[in-house]
Amino acid sequence: MVEDCKGHILVVDDEEALRTAVRRILEMEGFEVKEAHNGSEGISFGTTTEYDLALIDLKMPDRNGIEVLKEIRHTFPNTVCFMATAYASYETAVEATKLGADGYILKPFSPDELINQLNSGIRKRKLLLETERLKKEREESLLEVAFERTRLKTIINSITDGVIVINKKEELAYFNQAALKLLDVTYLPLGIPVTEHFPIEVAQLLSEKFFEVEEQQSSFSIEVEIKPNNELILEATFSPILQADGKLAGVVVVLKNITEFKRLELIKSQFVSMVAHELKAPIAASIGFIDIMRKPELNISQEQQIDFLNRTHGRLQSLLTMVNDLLDISRMELNKVTREIKEVIVEETIAEVAGLFTVELQKKDLTLSLPGPDEKHIIKVDQNEFLRLLTNLVSNAIKYNKEHGTIYITVKADAYYTVISVRDTGIGLRPEDKDRLFSEFFRAKNEFTKNIHGTGLGLSIVKRIIEAYSGKIECQSTYGEGTEFIISFPVIPIEQA
Amino acid sequence: MSLIAVIDDDQDILEASSLILRARGFEVISANNPDDGYKIIKEKNPDLIILDVIMNEPDDGFFLAQKLRREKIATPIIMYTSIAKATGLDFTSGNMIPVDEFVEKPISPDELIAKVEKFLKR
Repeated sequence: MVEDCKGHILVVDDEEALRTAVRRILEMEGFEVKEAHNGSEGISFGTTTEYDLALIDLKMPDRNGIEVLKEIRHTFPNTVCFMATAYASYETAVEATKLGADGYILKPFSPDELINQLNSGIRKRKLLLETERLKKEREESLLEVAFERTRLKTIINSITDGVIVINKKEELAYFNQAALKLLDVTYLPLGIPVTEHFPIEVAQLLSEKFFEVEEQQSSFSIEVEIKPNNELILEATFSPILQADGKLAGVVVVLKNITEFKRLELIKSQFVSMVAHELKAPIAASIGFIDIMRKPELNISQEQQIDFLNRTHGRLQSLLTMVNDLLDISRMELNKVTREIKEVIVEETIAEVAGLFTVELQKKDLTLSLPGPDEKHIIKVDQNEFLRLLTNLVSNAIKYNKEHGTIYITVKADAYYTVISVRDTGIGLRPEDKDRLFSEFFRAKNEFTKNIHGTGLGLSIVKRIIEAYSGKIECQSTYGEGTEFIISFPVIPIEQA
Repeated sequence: MSLIAVIDDDQDILEASSLILRARGFEVISANNPDDGYKIIKEKNPDLIILDVIMNEPDDGFFLAQKLRREKIATPIIMYTSIAKATGLDFTSGNMIPVDEFVEKPISPDELIAKVEKFLKR
């Protein structure tokens, strides 16, 4: 309003002549004037519109000026109010000022007096408005800060990494919920030296690292075993919080649970060394034979040489199979297998696999019991993969069978699964071996198996294949009597094909 | 004539080693698992034991060596290692493994003989 004209002024006076005179003077000066004929009208106008300035007669017949002042002030505290009075006295002036009047004008007044007073009133009004604006701004920014704090706290509390802040007196200044969990404690009081409330190893570490951070003034990470036997391992990252002058204000510690990561790392390195060992064994045997044959002084007979060459060939062949199996496993792990899924008649594939093993079956004089000629079960798989799976199972059933034994292959289906069973009457498995059956490179070793060769990857591949189809594999076995593998493929209704 | 017991679960290694040692004039007995190995050692009391570190289980050979030493059997032991180098495990330092010598696979006939003859006269 101040911007539009010099100012909006409300004149409250019951004397019409005075109002008109004042109005004229003020309008000439560039003010906009609104007249109120009495106290009630003054209150009504003054509380509906915010005027820059109100000139209020102290003595009016209906409501006196003080009342009008109070009402206007109540609604618009920044309206500058002047009281006009003919009975100026020290007391009235004091009272009006006490009640919040910004000044008083003595009646009668000259136009100059009026204008001077009002101009100073308008300056005051401007100051009041500016003060108001600044106050509002400050309140808003305080609100923003408070909001920001709450937000930060929420963020820090919702992250799964633990956060601990230690002040320069080495006292706990802040922590989040995840920190409690990771440090395996239920409660941490703030403001307590860190050495007092953390588990002893952690406390020592914090205290020790605190000085390191102080010296280095840069972040670093360490691994801490919180619970023994690799049950809980944390990576703790210590970072300095520096003051503006570069001095250390505290240290923030971020705790990350790396237990699972460490576990996988261990499995990986164990697997790598296992692979290395398995790959090296056939190489070592082959080189061993070749070295012997290269030494004339060992006097190897022709017959023996042929035997060694055949065995070397066999070992290298198994090495090749192993490498291929490993590549298959890796492809399956990386989900890089491209499958051509189509309907396959289980019994037909079984017959195909049986054909592959005619010679081996004869060698051991094994009987193969296949599903009846009328049986027909359909599953949706990649045919090659399914063939591979059955080949591995039948090959095992032959290798681990006894002479003159039998292999039973059956297929049946219920509402959920197509179930294929491959059962042998062979040497069976010890209970402790059964648990490790599907692990890479595991091969049951006992008095019966010493002349049975294999990579120890076959069943691991079978398991991966069946799992790729959301199926399952089970093994039932009695040591010395035989083993049965039962694989179940989820049924996919034919009409969906 | 000196008697050597060779214990390794790899039949080919077992035969190749035996052949090399016999050609050099040693008498050889063998076993392809730690239990049988222990038995032949107790029965025949060989002059030297050659032991593969990994048999059915990793460290099978290591445990058998420990068992023999606990029983105060002081017969020299040569241990066949397979992936010691690959895994960064340094078998040759420290006294953790109670054996006298190591031979890394693949076994070279000359190295085997040289190491055996550190302990045995033909």
